[in-house]
Amino acid sequence: MAEILQLVIAGLATGAIYALAAIGFTLLWQTSQTINFAQGEFVMLPAFFALVAMNWLGGPFWLSCLVAILVSILLLGMVFKLIVVDPMLKQGVLPLVISTIALGLLLREGAKDFYSAEAQPFPYIFPDRQISVLGVQLSLSQIGVLLIALAVIAALQLFLSRTRTGRQMQATAQNPTVARILGVPVERMIMYTFIINAALAAMASLLISPIYLAKFSNGEHLGLAAFVAAIVGGFNQVRGAIAGGLLVGVIDNLAAAYVSTGYRQSVPLILLVLFILFRPQGLLGRREERAV
Amino acid sequence: MSDSILQLDAVVGGYGKMTILNGTTTSIRRGRITTVIGPNGAGKSTMFKAIFGLLPLRSGRILFEGRDVTGHTPRMMLDAGVCYVPQGRNIFPELSVRHNLELGAVALKDQSGLPDRVAAMLKGFPILAEKADSQASTLSGGQQKLLEVARGLLLDPKLILIDEPSIGLSPLMVQEVFGILKALRGKGVTILLIEQNAKQALQMSDYGLVLELGQTRIEDTAANIRADPRIAQLFLGGGLQPIR
Repeated sequence: MAEILQLVIAGLATGAIYALAAIGFTLLWQTSQTINFAQGEFVMLPAFFALVAMNWLGGPFWLSCLVAILVSILLLGMVFKLIVVDPMLKQGVLPLVISTIALGLLLREGAKDFYSAEAQPFPYIFPDRQISVLGVQLSLSQIGVLLIALAVIAALQLFLSRTRTGRQMQATAQNPTVARILGVPVERMIMYTFIINAALAAMASLLISPIYLAKFSNGEHLGLAAFVAAIVGGFNQVRGAIAGGLLVGVIDNLAAAYVSTGYRQSVPLILLVLFILFRPQGLLGRREERAV
Repeated sequence: MSDSILQLDAVVGGYGKMTILNGTTTSIRRGRITTVIGPNGAGKSTMFKAIFGLLPLRSGRILFEGRDVTGHTPRMMLDAGVCYVPQGRNIFPELSVRHNLELGAVALKDQSGLPDRVAAMLKGFPILAEKADSQASTLSGGQQKLLEVARGLLLDPKLILIDEPSIGLSPLMVQEVFGILKALRGKGVTILLIEQNAKQALQMSDYGLVLELGQTRIEDTAANIRADPRIAQLFLGGGLQPIR
């Protein structure tokens, strides 16, 4: 029992990180029909920004994290939208999807060539210690990760629901045509979405890299987990992405412990197939109606 | 014309290679209800989009209150005093009724008066006031239409473009929506209306505008249009003249 609890908490911690990436995924899809297949690399890369700031430029850890978030917002948010998404989306959704796949490859190989092909140790934000709660050994660092991720998600939800800008973003996501008719600056709202996505990816990167180590190929698993989390939760729902992320995290942790670590990578895929077959709208999603 | 609020002058526009508006010319009178009728594909909704800046024109001009507003963005049209209630469901289903309403005032420069405006609007629509804090998706189809109309009115527009408000509504709800439009006319608001339910719409309208193939066929008082034998023929698909 105690073991299961430990595994579930560890799963929730990684799941909350997947959720961060999955939320960005759904936000981009909702506001700009961008399916970002480089999302995994977007989570891989910010850790390297921090490593560069720390190891090459000699900055302190906290400052390097801040730099990583800001550089991510600039490059993975604004530059990504202006240079990749805006020109490609005019050609249709498929060319954009293919471009994001190419971008993912570029970022992966770039991290390998410019930094290192080896997995890099990354400092823990919280001390990597075990604490005992009612006889259950819990990792302080995992609890810290879980709390930070949940706090970020809660802050995002508050922003989206309690501020006028947040509601204009929601309006843009739910019905861009009507939002434009009401005078919502739709283009600016879409830019905010890209900035938020980049910031979430950077947060996810800083939280997951101590656990997985920073490695150029991390994006493969992270991107898949985020993609599956978004689908499982219901592609058009932020709440769904949270639920999906947590679910994927817990299930892949349990599978790694009770089935085999080798199968860890396949769990999200199995989950994906099951959901596509039996509940294509996802846990919390609504069916999308499209006028033809 | 001195009492004209909106003029279309030889407007040409469409989607891709398809031309929908083919030199549409008309003049809409201030403070009146004008109903636009015409067979499917005549360009009624496209005309509204063109007026509201959602469709770039290939040629022609649009004048609002004597000012050239050709090429204006929707935001500029809102600022000029025009609001547009498109066909179909146009609410934000996952936001509350109140927040849906508030979004009608995004274009308002001074946001400090917003709570009062929303409160006043809710007073005028008791059904919406009752559900102000529920998700908009919980409203019935008719209530959603009322919400759209209320949202459009938040900026005190001078001209309302409203496209097929009665679609999918119960007869009682249609009466309610039409009643609101009549009340607005009483306050001097100009209403340009597209309605499939032409007979009922023309009954409350002052003027009618018949479009066919993107051109104005008939412009007259609503009473004269109702009595015009050619109208029935047009809707039976005969057309006013051989096509092509």
